[in-house]
Amino acid sequence: MDLGNFLSALTPLNIVLALLGVAAGTVIGSIPGLTATMAVAVLVPITFSMEPASALILLGAIYTGAIYGGAYAAILLNTPGTPSAIATTFDGYPMAKRGDGDLAVAIACFASVFGGLIGALALLFLAPPLSQVALAFGPIEYFWLSVFGLSLIASLSKGNLLKGLAGGAFGMILSTVGVAEISADIRLTFGSQTLIAGFGVVGALIGLYCIPVLIDLVAVPDRHLKMENDVRSVRIREAAQITLKSKFNLLRSSVIGTLVGILPGAGGSVAGLVAYSEAKRNAREDQKFGEGEADGIIATESSNNATVGGGFIPTLVLGIPGTPPDAVILGALLVQGVRTGPTLFQSGGSIVYTFIYGLLIATILMLPVGLLIGRYAYKSIVAIPKAILVPAVGFMTIIGTFAIRNSISDVIIMICLGVFGWIVGRFGFAASPIVLGLILGPIAEQGFVQSWTIGAATNNLAGVFFGRPISQAIVAFTLLTLLYPAFSTWKQRRKTAKAGAN
Amino acid sequence: MLRRIILKTVAAVTIAASTGLAASAQTAGPVNYIIPFGPGGESDISARLQQPFFKDKFGQDMVVSYQPGGGGAVGWASLNGLNGDGQTIMGINLPHIIIKPAQKDVGFKTEDLNAFYMFHYTPDAIVVTADSPYQTLQDLIDDAKANPGQVTMSGSGKASANHLAQIKFDKMAEIKTTYVPFKGTGAAVAALLGNQVKAEWGYTTVGAKQGEAVRLLAVAMDERHPLFPDVPTFKELGFDMVGGAYRGLALPSSASEETTKKWSDIAAEINKDPEFRQKMIDGGFALLDIDAEGMSDFMAERTEEYLKDAREAGLIK
Amino acid sequence: MSKSRILKSEGSIGSLLVSAFFIFAGIMTLYDTTGYSDVDSKVFPQTVAIILIICASGSIIYQFMRPSTEGGFGQGVWWRRVMLIVTMLVACLAMPYLGFLLAGSIAFAGGLISAMHDRWSVGSALLFGCCGLLIMTAFYALFRYALLVPLP
Repeated sequence: MDLGNFLSALTPLNIVLALLGVAAGTVIGSIPGLTATMAVAVLVPITFSMEPASALILLGAIYTGAIYGGAYAAILLNTPGTPSAIATTFDGYPMAKRGDGDLAVAIACFASVFGGLIGALALLFLAPPLSQVALAFGPIEYFWLSVFGLSLIASLSKGNLLKGLAGGAFGMILSTVGVAEISADIRLTFGSQTLIAGFGVVGALIGLYCIPVLIDLVAVPDRHLKMENDVRSVRIREAAQITLKSKFNLLRSSVIGTLVGILPGAGGSVAGLVAYSEAKRNAREDQKFGEGEADGIIATESSNNATVGGGFIPTLVLGIPGTPPDAVILGALLVQGVRTGPTLFQSGGSIVYTFIYGLLIATILMLPVGLLIGRYAYKSIVAIPKAILVPAVGFMTIIGTFAIRNSISDVIIMICLGVFGWIVGRFGFAASPIVLGLILGPIAEQGFVQSWTIGAATNNLAGVFFGRPISQAIVAFTLLTLLYPAFSTWKQRRKTAKAGAN
Repeated sequence: MLRRIILKTVAAVTIAASTGLAASAQTAGPVNYIIPFGPGGESDISARLQQPFFKDKFGQDMVVSYQPGGGGAVGWASLNGLNGDGQTIMGINLPHIIIKPAQKDVGFKTEDLNAFYMFHYTPDAIVVTADSPYQTLQDLIDDAKANPGQVTMSGSGKASANHLAQIKFDKMAEIKTTYVPFKGTGAAVAALLGNQVKAEWGYTTVGAKQGEAVRLLAVAMDERHPLFPDVPTFKELGFDMVGGAYRGLALPSSASEETTKKWSDIAAEINKDPEFRQKMIDGGFALLDIDAEGMSDFMAERTEEYLKDAREAGLIK
Repeated sequence: MSKSRILKSEGSIGSLLVSAFFIFAGIMTLYDTTGYSDVDSKVFPQTVAIILIICASGSIIYQFMRPSTEGGFGQGVWWRRVMLIVTMLVACLAMPYLGFLLAGSIAFAGGLISAMHDRWSVGSALLFGCCGLLIMTAFYALFRYALLVPLP
């Protein structure tokens, strides 16, 4: 139908832009503190002098590259390069530690490309109908979605559920510090000017994940990652086999990513967590999530890259940005004179379709680019002496945290939070529940307050909280996630009992 | 890894940048325009609209960066610590810079900000979906009178322009509606379009962005907005409401008087450009020209009004 | 395992202290919420603070019921850990006066020395120093000039 649009996306200039964008995005995403939002925002003025479609392709390529790049730091340094790669650390770092970092990076690349393609295809064929998902999600659905995300704490806190829950609650309290987003108060600052800004998610991620790794690295003389003695050939084929074997996980996670991406206010981090949680629930008995299970990386990376295409759906169809980078791109579109809305897909659609094809091309280009950069990244991180790695990463955390909003106090907060995270982590209070609380806390609070306000106004609190089909489904999934481990042990026990009886 | 990454990035960015940034080398350097909010809001969009005109007229690059936190407070509290040489400016918003310091100590005071230009405002408007049963403002008022509190209206934040407008209008029309705060206009509009609420307290910009999907019931302007000639003003309907969220620019207080004057002129110059005006109007904005000289009167008048509204609403003591 | 042994183990004392801190944080939150003017800002922190207090108390009780000696600071050299963090903090505090690069090199040097487990030699000192300078300058250039971050 629109071969013309496809061909116009295929101009040499656009392909070069897509290639550059993906490469630059991958690198930017791999540096903790440098987010896709920032990279896209810096490049917006450059795009003013370009054709709108080319500009969009460049921005979209950077965005999708950055989401993939976040996996490098997550796998090799246990620090998510972008918030969407949080769940990649759960299994990526254990894999790297046992010497499979190259495999993990390659798996992440395949999964990202697949997820990105699914997201972009959904954007191409299903954008107008799928945009309704964004509207069907009311405050209460966001509330239950965040509760679902929090239920992951139960499976993340190894051994001690109470400690995990305490960490999650503490993270949620941290998230309320500062000026309240939807109510008229300033909370928990205890008179401090510094705390008014609150705990930024990106800074907190760097602190809670990266600083403990650094502290542990300097304390002992062991190597950072296990070094393989034999120089093996690149493990691309192995990675491709592993990825393809989990085709169901791949597809499920990509669909989750696309759908969560459509929701304004959720984003890649929530998508990754939800997909991870689902993959874990559907795991085979021999799979050990959290200890270097490839399916964990596949779930997170395919879903977070699917949010790129998914996020563009409400952005382009409704004019409501799905994620912060989408918001920047929406601004750039307005300046270019492109009006978003349902008509964009019908009438003046050529720009949109050229862009979507461009995004598809960029996603495919991510395969060679990502594997290449990933290989170098792995090799250098493994080979670099610890005495250089530690200060370089430390310096990177400082400059990266500073760059988020040009504030030194943010850096100090980041370091203090890191030391705090290291100490509590040593006593069984893991960082991940705290981070989950920090990320999901605001979503839960806003959803709750809004639902309560609406329910109280219409005298229908129970109906608002439990009466809507989507929220009922999310509640059911949450219960399933929480109860499934108990159920499977029960089944296991019955099985062995039966075997014993026979 | 680091070295390689750096080399690659620098190379990639340089190539990408060479298309657009080449001109910046021969100027005094790019101007840093800080938006104390995240991207995508009205502040960001109007800044993005100014960006190319600034470059056209003054040959320098204008770099828009975001410094969100504390509903803008973090940015404004840091403003006076920045270099006042005229290379750094920051967006300011009313009523935020008046209400926030009046609530609690947020690290800056309204009068500390060296505001030098107010260049537009987004007039308050009541927005409903296209298939809403409310055809006119009167329909909404009737429903709210018949079912007090049951008319839910979304808006961006609390103690914000939207919230103050809701409180004020409820009082004028002698009705009781329920205000549901959302994080930002985008989320408030999504809630409206998804029929989570019955109406939205938004701005004319919502009407411009959403086009036929929504209907404006009334706008808080002196005269009708050129983009919506069919939408009555509140004044026409008998409610004395004119206003909205005002946006302007400020320099660090250490900036000299010449610098302030220069910037006031620059903003005025951009605001004069017919193409810029058209783009702003198409976006649903209403232009405003309050320069450095008229600023203190304007601020005094606005401060009095906002504080009175907020006090009556119980938002501040 | 007797009670006195449990209390002596680093792991359980630390766990107790952290749980106690969380309870304290919960109480502080409850105290802070009494000063809010808007009901909407109270509900969530109050609920979460109560959950936090319950879970942290539960964790203390659990510690006594099912004693475990897991956890602790483990092996490792303390001066290296402290030095890494202290130099990073010093760098932040010094940054407004020294500028980003000079202050950053304090943190870099601190990290370098604390992570250096091999024997120092003139050669390695020079090599690492140069590497460090190169990395820092490159990062500085990337952020300052390509990403236009106003570094001090």
